[in-house]
Amino acid sequence: MTAPLLKIEQLSKRFGGLQAVADLSYEVTEREILGIIGPNGAGKTTAVNLVSGVIEPSSGRVFLDGRDVTGQKPHVLVESGLVRTFQATTVFGGSTVRENLRRGAFRLLYPGFLATLFDTPKAREARARTAAHVDEVMHWLGLERFGEHVASSLPYGIQKVLGMGIGLAARPRIILLDEPVAGLSAEETDHVRDTIRLVRERGIAVVVIDHNMRFITDLCDRVLVMAQGRELAQGAPKDVLANPAVIEAYLGKRYAKAQR
Amino acid sequence: MTQATKITGGVLAAVVLVVWPWLTDDRFLHHVGVLIMLTAIGASSLHLIIRTGHVSLCHAAFMAFGAYGSVLTVMSLGLPFPVGLLVGTGAAALLAATIGPIVLRLTGKYFVLITFLFGEVVRMAIVENVALTGGSNGIFNVPPPHPIFLDTKAYYYLALAFAAFAVGLCARILGSEFGRAMNAIRDGERLAECSGVPVIRFKVIVFIIACALAGMQGSLMAHYNKVLSPENFSGIISLNLVVMNVIGGMSSLWGALIGAVFMVMLPELLRGYVNIQHIIFGAILFATMAFMPGGIIQAARHVKAMLSAKPDAPAPPLARTGAAE
Repeated sequence: MTAPLLKIEQLSKRFGGLQAVADLSYEVTEREILGIIGPNGAGKTTAVNLVSGVIEPSSGRVFLDGRDVTGQKPHVLVESGLVRTFQATTVFGGSTVRENLRRGAFRLLYPGFLATLFDTPKAREARARTAAHVDEVMHWLGLERFGEHVASSLPYGIQKVLGMGIGLAARPRIILLDEPVAGLSAEETDHVRDTIRLVRERGIAVVVIDHNMRFITDLCDRVLVMAQGRELAQGAPKDVLANPAVIEAYLGKRYAKAQR
Repeated sequence: MTQATKITGGVLAAVVLVVWPWLTDDRFLHHVGVLIMLTAIGASSLHLIIRTGHVSLCHAAFMAFGAYGSVLTVMSLGLPFPVGLLVGTGAAALLAATIGPIVLRLTGKYFVLITFLFGEVVRMAIVENVALTGGSNGIFNVPPPHPIFLDTKAYYYLALAFAAFAVGLCARILGSEFGRAMNAIRDGERLAECSGVPVIRFKVIVFIIACALAGMQGSLMAHYNKVLSPENFSGIISLNLVVMNVIGGMSSLWGALIGAVFMVMLPELLRGYVNIQHIIFGAILFATMAFMPGGIIQAARHVKAMLSAKPDAPAPPLARTGAAE
């Protein structure tokens, strides 16, 4: 087995009296899709925020490629190849889809202050390269037809996909997706699932958070079940589903419902 | 607009700006021209800060640093004007680099409040520091940059050159990839940061550049007016620069320029109505906010869109059914 791309060790976060995340540990290897699932309030989003640098953990470590990146700011982590998306549709509503992706591609596009100010050959080259990359991302996500459309004018489902596109535009090595299918129809969910598989085929590792059990078990190589900020079980989807603790404590009712 | 029309328009505007002073001997018009050029520096530099999502109410404080820095260098140290200008601009930049990283972490009304207070602190410091600044009496007999600039028309060209530099720099920044990142910050700070934009660092860079330009304007203003006093740098001056951006429109640099022209010219246009000048001014401000929330530039765009009467193409229908359940 290859060394893990992302390694989380004993990550904890306390907000005042609330233990939002406690002793969370997991690893993600290259080209792996890890699903994190749990009911509302289980600490899934906090877990993403801790890893992506949006909030600082109270304790624990985050390693990216064996390097300790605990507490680093989001923009620094993007530089190292770790990108996250947001639960709500987070796009630049007033801009076109293409402009949204260009902004997402900042890391590739920005050649330094003076270089961009004087539009040096390096800056022009970065622009041409990024334009091709943005086209490519639009192609993966099936957004080509919407390239010149203002993001806020697009349907919710497309905006969700665009939110993922903004993350992918940065050409990450690992992407953290926070509820990419929340509020989507079954058909749109399948589209997102297929897109995430495509992302993995491009050599990008994925951590995906959701509470849609069917979506997660369909998609992921491994699943981590969270409840009340703690890990309940971790492993292959089949094993986790068969885990009596998971069924007893949490999945029983919900999964039974999803099966219907 | 095609590239050709843009170039033609630019050349035409440049010719007009260079030639018009020769078409009139009215010294007063030349004077208004100088004021517009110098004000355009402040308005466009403030526009840069506004474009990162911050409304600064202490731009005049940086003008003060530029003005006093420059005047004291020239008058107390006896150094030539270019050195004074550099010292003044540098002092403003240094001040911005000092307070920027602190205040730019605040957003919205908190940023507005703290910059307003900071502006007042700077003004009070000038008033109290009599030995250095002359207190509220100010400093008189400030020399011009060079004797030829005693002529208002000559000063106009000096101001024009610096305004062209300042506005050109602002336009270039906004049009670059750095400007794209600024727009991203304005539209969604968190999303920009998670797309790799070092938000605070970029805001500080913008703040330093904008405040340095404000310092430059302050220096040029002081050596033009030949006097300077703390009242030239009060909160009202800062507020006026914000109002220029609002009236002109905060969405583009053109808005700041239109606002600067408008706000400098308006008192002159209303000279016949001195008694009710402020009332008319207030009414215009109200009307702008109420009926043209995007400012003059936005209203102009609407008119243009209506004239060309080409409806926005509707979004193509979705291939997949059911946008959301």
